[in-house]
Amino acid sequence: MSRILEPIYPKVLSVRRLPGASPALLRAYGADPDKHTSLGLITCDQDDPTYVALDEATKHADVDVVFAKSFYAGAAHASGPISGEILGVLASGSPDEIEEGLRALLRCLEHDACFYTASECGGIAVFPHVIGSLGRYLSAQAGLQPGDPMAYLVAPPMEHTIALDAALKAAQVEARLILTPPSETNFAAAFLSGTLHDCEAAAAAYAQAVIEVGREPLR
Amino acid sequence: MSHTRRMVEELRRRLGEDAPMCQVQAPLEPIEPPPSRVIPRGAIRDERFAREAAQHTTALVGVGRVGSRYATEVVLQFQAELAVAHAAVAAELSEDWAESAGLPLLRSRVGHHREFLLRPDLGRRLDAQAVAWLEANARRDVDVQPILADGLSAVACMGSGPELMGHFIAQCEALGLRVGTPVLAKYARVWLQDEIGELCRAKVACILLGERPGLGTGDGLSAYMVYEPRVGRNDGERNMISNIHARGMLPADAAQRLARLAQGMIQQRTSGVELDLSAIPGLGGVGGTALREPQVRKRLVEVP
Repeated sequence: MSRILEPIYPKVLSVRRLPGASPALLRAYGADPDKHTSLGLITCDQDDPTYVALDEATKHADVDVVFAKSFYAGAAHASGPISGEILGVLASGSPDEIEEGLRALLRCLEHDACFYTASECGGIAVFPHVIGSLGRYLSAQAGLQPGDPMAYLVAPPMEHTIALDAALKAAQVEARLILTPPSETNFAAAFLSGTLHDCEAAAAAYAQAVIEVGREPLR
Repeated sequence: MSHTRRMVEELRRRLGEDAPMCQVQAPLEPIEPPPSRVIPRGAIRDERFAREAAQHTTALVGVGRVGSRYATEVVLQFQAELAVAHAAVAAELSEDWAESAGLPLLRSRVGHHREFLLRPDLGRRLDAQAVAWLEANARRDVDVQPILADGLSAVACMGSGPELMGHFIAQCEALGLRVGTPVLAKYARVWLQDEIGELCRAKVACILLGERPGLGTGDGLSAYMVYEPRVGRNDGERNMISNIHARGMLPADAAQRLARLAQGMIQQRTSGVELDLSAIPGLGGVGGTALREPQVRKRLVEVP
């Protein structure tokens, strides 16, 4: 029997490096050939933990997240065995920086960012992630400064909508970005900012509400 | 532990879940966390040449890297060594020390320490008082005029300066050379030897002065010699020995070489590039030409 709030570990499906990528490819994936020469690429079966891990990489190495996109309908409907539900691309002027960035990225996926089960049967997943200190990638996405704390909240559409309301009321947080359903993977997401303490309180309220909605969907 | 993991565990407790969170084995290969005490890793460290070369120098070779950067330990060590070098440059020769060393103190035209650093030209000429003192008191028509000076490291001058000067004078006298009145020069650049030597009508002037400090070495002395010192001599007309300190050439060895060099200059009546070093007996042999003993970098910081 599966219990609630157990980590669902992300599975890294591929990690590749392109130390001297061709300029056309660099441009197509959002990199700047004048500044970037090397790419680090990753696919994973969980998209949101990977966005967080890509951001983590920018805190550890001189890398830019030039490309990160989720795949339609998620990992369960992937185009191939190593496609997963996201392709993330780090770019840098040095292969060594890419290497350091990938180390940080993989470390984050292994030890920090992951979805959690939100129902006893394991069918509902929630991502109530608290980032103590943003990197350059997500801070830009959220309109915050690198180093700011942020709550990164993801759940299925109904759960998310109810839980986000609970989260916004549970602490002194501000909604930076609310992505209404469906996302590419048919989830919904929100970025909340505030003090680290408030972000944690909001994320906890969010996770709790997701669990409650799952238990009583027809209340 | 991550903020999220801690928050989730707290929430589990609140929701009545007593059992600890299931520690599912992560499907990834374990990644070692960054070591708290950095042993620099990477290709450079692993190369035999770099490892062996690093044994014979205190220079920054074979220090490895972390990503494309230095290890924290290396950076801290570098900063500590740079601080030693800055302190050596900032140190000044005190009047008290000159008195205790028993040497007459001559000053260049430099007024204060900052000017000394910014105006090398003033550090190459004597002030009027010094000129008068030399004209009144110095021995004339000597073979060798020894000068001890602060140069860019008064620390080195006050450290092994007197020892080197003592050895040098003794070695010159042993070779039968007439040695001039030893003097101490403050705010002195190398070329100050030209004016002092000219005033003393010395055949050879030798200035022993603190050299520009390197990393962690504020105690190095250099010796410059010139035949027929005249104001306006250029560096091509000088011979020099650098790195006279405990980890480089020892003062006693250096003094022996310098005395033979002075003798050679007088015999060949020239110095600098025109001096035929191969014709000076025993010059290369002093101190040997073999590899130095393995050197150990003096640790100035410890990273816990």
